[in-house]
Amino acid sequence: METKIYKEGDVTTVKFIGRLDTPAAQEVTKEIESVMDAASGTVIMDCSEMTYISSSGLRIFLSLRKAAATKGGEIIVKSISNDIRQVFMMTGFLNLFQIQD
Amino acid sequence: MDLTPHIQSILDEYRRDLPLFREAEARVKGVINDFLAENGLVVASLESRIKTEGSLTGKLELKGSKYNSLADITDILGLRVITFYLDDVDKVASVLERLFEVDWENTVDKRKLHEIDRFGYMSLHYICYLKDTPYRFEVQVRTILQHAWANMNHDTGYKSGIEVPKEYLRNLNRLAGMLELVDEQFSIIRTDLTDYRRRVQSLVASGNLDEVPLDGDTFRSFLKIDPFGPLNRRIAAVNQAEIHEDTLMPFLAVFKGLGCNTLGDIGKIIKESSEAAYQLACYQIGITDLDIISSSLGPQNLCIAHILKQGGGPLGIRILLDTLNGASESNSALAEVLLEQASNLPFMNQ
Repeated sequence: METKIYKEGDVTTVKFIGRLDTPAAQEVTKEIESVMDAASGTVIMDCSEMTYISSSGLRIFLSLRKAAATKGGEIIVKSISNDIRQVFMMTGFLNLFQIQD
Repeated sequence: MDLTPHIQSILDEYRRDLPLFREAEARVKGVINDFLAENGLVVASLESRIKTEGSLTGKLELKGSKYNSLADITDILGLRVITFYLDDVDKVASVLERLFEVDWENTVDKRKLHEIDRFGYMSLHYICYLKDTPYRFEVQVRTILQHAWANMNHDTGYKSGIEVPKEYLRNLNRLAGMLELVDEQFSIIRTDLTDYRRRVQSLVASGNLDEVPLDGDTFRSFLKIDPFGPLNRRIAAVNQAEIHEDTLMPFLAVFKGLGCNTLGDIGKIIKESSEAAYQLACYQIGITDLDIISSSLGPQNLCIAHILKQGGGPLGIRILLDTLNGASESNSALAEVLLEQASNLPFMNQ
């Protein structure tokens, strides 16, 4: 799993490339610490190249959502594949996030 | 104009003790704010100001002989609490009495000074002692409408001593009377709403759900008894999953869209479709190792199962997903997948 973080003004984009499984989640958690701090603005979770998400990955999304709620920011989940959309659906997570095609 | 030695000496006191007033301003404001927050009393605003040297000089030039020293002037530090509701003026007054030592001799409830045929500026003025100093401070308490009237009235120049033609005065008084009525009505509406919420809570608690109309208040009360909890816990048990609790208020629009008019209608859906919702969840997550679900999964699957049992098909599910997550073309594809998954389940083949 590769994570790329871009910042443009008040908008931070986190792009996930590959499988966000349990081992990858530990690494990603460290990498997105700075994003947690910046969660007062808009954070776009770009999932266009994410191929898999595990429960640990969902927990990362949840942590970011909590950080944004505390700091008055917003999280947008962008370009999720149909498979990952189904994971969000079957866990009820689809209702928690603003999803953009 | 040259200032008299008397005025000069009061101004010297003012300059010397200005830091003391500044410190007191922050302290008094903090004490009031903390108490209001701790007791859940929401006010529109809490303002404060320290009289400027220019304003004090003007006051002393006009009526300096009234005051022996700075301590005789009670509004060097002034605060204003603006409430939303009329009832809250008295609540804030009792807060002030509790927090500060009140100089009752100089405290005025202008609301009680009104004659029966007069309307106008109504406000509560408290004069309180500033602890460990020779000084006092003033707190005005008024509603947001009284505040609006006072400001507009002041803007007309009425209080500046300029004579205002009778018809304007009459119009201002008519307006004051109307605002007084509006203030009272807001308080009555709030009291009625509180009564309604209490009645609803007791109906929900006693299980008389058919008698409770579905609206934002009643749905919130309903959620307090955790109506979807048993279904969520049953689904979570499939993978020993953690349940992430989240607000379920967005489902109000969904249940309304499904034609529910009372909480009893939702109760019926829970009774008739929980098994089907569970079957759907088992089919979806049973073969995965997902061990976290949102508390919205139970009601979401319940609505899907109800729609499918009613013959709502993919369009019905699409409408549900659009209502919950915002309109998106992807919801159509998801609705088709859900229909296909459900078609393998017992509840669709009975």
